[in-house]
Amino acid sequence: MKEIEQVPRSALIWILLGMAALLAPHAGRLPVWVLAVYGACAFWRLQIFRGRWRYPGRLVKFGLIGLACTGIWFSYGSLLGLEPTVALLLTAYAMKLLELARRQDAYVLLFLGYFICITEFLFTQDLLIVLYSLITVWLVTTALVALHQGQQRFGTTSLRQAGVMLAQAFPLMLVLFFLFPRIGPLWTVPVKSHAARTGVSDFMRPGDISNLSKSDEVAFRVSFEGDIPARSSLYWRGLVMSRLQEGAWSSLGYYEVPPAERRAPEVATAGDAIDYSVLMMPTQQRWLYSLRYAESSQGGVMEAPDFRLFRPVEIEEQYRYEVRSWPATTLQPALSEWRRETELRLPEGDNPRTVALARSLREAAASDEAFVDTVLARFTNEPYVYTLQPPLLGENPTDGFLFDTRRGFCEHYAAAFVTLMRAGGVPARVVAGYQGGEVNPVNRTVIVHQFDAHAWAEVWLEGEGWRRVDPTAAVSPLRVEQGLEQALAGEGSFLADSPLSPLRYRGINWINSMRLQYDALTYRWQSWVVGFNSENQFSILQEYLGELNGRKFVTILLGSWVLVLVPVGFWLLRRRSPAALDAISREYLAFCQRLARLGVERAPGEPPGAFAERAVVALPQSASAVREVTALYERARYAGGDSTPADTLRSMRRAARGVGRQNRLG
Amino acid sequence: MQIQGLIDTAVAEVGQVLLGKEAQIRLALCCLFARGHLLIEDLPGMGKTTLSHALADVLGLSYKRVQFTSDLLPADILGVSIYNRSDATFTFHPGPIFTQLLLADEINRTTPRTQSALLEAMAEGQVTVEGETRTLPDPFFVIATQNPIHQSGTYPLPESQLDRFLMRLDLGYPHPKAEREMFERQGLPGTETRRLEQRIREDQLAQIREAVAGVHASDSLLDYLQRLVAYTREAPEFAVGLSPRGALALLDCARTWAVMHNRGHVVPEDLQMVLPAVVAHRLVPSGDFAGDGMALVMQMQRRVDVIRS
Repeated sequence: MKEIEQVPRSALIWILLGMAALLAPHAGRLPVWVLAVYGACAFWRLQIFRGRWRYPGRLVKFGLIGLACTGIWFSYGSLLGLEPTVALLLTAYAMKLLELARRQDAYVLLFLGYFICITEFLFTQDLLIVLYSLITVWLVTTALVALHQGQQRFGTTSLRQAGVMLAQAFPLMLVLFFLFPRIGPLWTVPVKSHAARTGVSDFMRPGDISNLSKSDEVAFRVSFEGDIPARSSLYWRGLVMSRLQEGAWSSLGYYEVPPAERRAPEVATAGDAIDYSVLMMPTQQRWLYSLRYAESSQGGVMEAPDFRLFRPVEIEEQYRYEVRSWPATTLQPALSEWRRETELRLPEGDNPRTVALARSLREAAASDEAFVDTVLARFTNEPYVYTLQPPLLGENPTDGFLFDTRRGFCEHYAAAFVTLMRAGGVPARVVAGYQGGEVNPVNRTVIVHQFDAHAWAEVWLEGEGWRRVDPTAAVSPLRVEQGLEQALAGEGSFLADSPLSPLRYRGINWINSMRLQYDALTYRWQSWVVGFNSENQFSILQEYLGELNGRKFVTILLGSWVLVLVPVGFWLLRRRSPAALDAISREYLAFCQRLARLGVERAPGEPPGAFAERAVVALPQSASAVREVTALYERARYAGGDSTPADTLRSMRRAARGVGRQNRLG
Repeated sequence: MQIQGLIDTAVAEVGQVLLGKEAQIRLALCCLFARGHLLIEDLPGMGKTTLSHALADVLGLSYKRVQFTSDLLPADILGVSIYNRSDATFTFHPGPIFTQLLLADEINRTTPRTQSALLEAMAEGQVTVEGETRTLPDPFFVIATQNPIHQSGTYPLPESQLDRFLMRLDLGYPHPKAEREMFERQGLPGTETRRLEQRIREDQLAQIREAVAGVHASDSLLDYLQRLVAYTREAPEFAVGLSPRGALALLDCARTWAVMHNRGHVVPEDLQMVLPAVVAHRLVPSGDFAGDGMALVMQMQRRVDVIRS
């Protein structure tokens, strides 16, 4: 028995392979010592298998647990939060190898493996990761199969068998995916990553957006109903920043706006509408990106008084929303007193040179509009440089930027421009978001990357409302027309920190077309699979099945389950018994079942005669009946039968009935 | 009824000298009735010689014993022609093989050359010496014994030659009760040299063999046999499956076993009773399987159901 209890060699190898596969995608995120723990534990377990070392004692195990917790604490500064918890889980998982003594332990380890496979999705839901985790699941299942097959020799039989099993499970998986109710989480893991995600944040200091520009992650993807507008008009508004405080621009919170102003003002839409849907990657923030002026009919999307869209809850998973925009719409032809005051406010005494310049320029200009043009012309004509590597700025950053360094990124220009406007008495504010995007010709979506992050300005002009002004365009028109890469072509700083990013090799045709193909696939994957939430589920089910209620839903779920399982089961059954049993054998097996209910079960491979002897000993009161049935069966099956099957069947049935009755009486 | 009774008395007679080994005695008889030869593999001193001697007595067969050594030559077994000076002819002096029951003791200690001479005689029922073919007596029954292979100084029989033996038995240590009885009998007068009585006459032996030919093996039983054989060829724990010769041997023995129990047809029990002795030495476990041949047979018996396929 002891031999069977142990983990066989091939299963152990598959377990180790599966664990390596489980660890691999996490490797980049984990501290190096966790990887070392994996190596050490695997080596230790192999030495145990070879009979060289022993399993660790209880004290050693406690010591290891303590060390692991301390290590995680030192590496992350906390034991809570997503990354430390996952790291702790992975470390514990590695050390579980040292407790892998018996079959039961292997089960625990492998079932935990499926869970660990899921943790990867807390970090990314990329298509490649999904494909990879299929392989991982396959490996873990192979280890399970190998555990059952109990072979010592390491071979591909288990792999094949596991593959077949998973393939058989595939239809069920589809049914569950489409039909199983999406139940909200019963509790939430603190998903907010320890290392902040890249993305636009709700306050802006000089340097924030240039940092963002170093990332080639996708911020969101947009698919338009009609034609894709020109790139230079793709200003994705995310945040409107009306307040300058301690050198940073920030947006107003909901309660910082007086109650009368909290609702978005009524807007008379004008011009042609553009319809599009945005598929946003998780940001852990609330605001959404759209072209101006946008409205969304989607539930859960709200509009702020500064004409941007937001969600009341944070976007913790990718989110898709439908938007309709009217770019030609006039926004807020009349400003309220509070609004005007807010959009004009500057901190007292900061940036005195800027304020003085603004006043003199405004006095020289005939109108607000002319003032805007003068300032933009100043950016164009004076030697201002658009760069990703601006020098550091001192106490009065706008003064320093405008008069001394003259080198800056979009946030410098936007902030300086708005400061100038406000100092000159023109209501103005900073808008942060993304500009442009890459058109993927494969599926006609616009991919907006983090390096498309941008900041620009809006000024309010009498009779025109809010007008978008992009001072960066005055300095570097290429940024708006062709994108960051072209604008920085001379500097060579575009994605300088990610030499392997496929985006850097856009010049090479086949790489670029592969990248775009893959992105199109990702878009489809993200919108149809990852984004398949309970709303989608309901709308699809409703579309095909009409009004939905609980009973109908459960019926459909079970029905489709049956629909999938019955053919599979039928196929398995057919394969199992190539020749159907004859009537006599069926009768005999029924008799065996009757005895099994009385506590005497026929052992696998036990012949009728030996079984009868055993049954007679266990159930002496039914001895004659048992003997009679067995004799009838043996005569029919083995002795070349002198009685016809029908007779035998009848006699067997009659005798078999005797077993139960006599027993009950007795 | 009378065959079973006959056999019971014979078994009881042999049981007087070989205590507590009834199952092995029955199997040995079965092997003899089925015209096969028997290989007994066990440690020295387990009663191999006693069994063969007792069998010869009980069946009334002429008995010879050859101790196989590394310098034994084929002629030492088969016989040799010697020049007779008085009438100037060669006269054949038959070797020990010309007997009804031959005990080939420690067959794996001799060279393959001598082994194959014996095995050929076993297979053919005749020997050819100096161009002249001589028929061996009938019944001709060889009981070969061998030491377990891991004992040193042996020429192990290859699989192809193991296959010539219908059955292989191991006697094993006696049951403590039987061993105690043996100790108590030791030294009592007359036990040492006692000759057993003949219990089965030659005509009765022929009668039994005749009855075997008439035993019915039903379709269901042949199905079961085929499933067993197929299992040895398909399951991963076997490196080598059962040959058709092995399968036939199995059926022959099961038939004989049925006759020994007064049945005109074979039931699965018959097959299962003879299965370990008939197939264990013909099967080779693959490297994956941790147990020995016997464990393999037990597992096979469990995995292949009698009724269901």
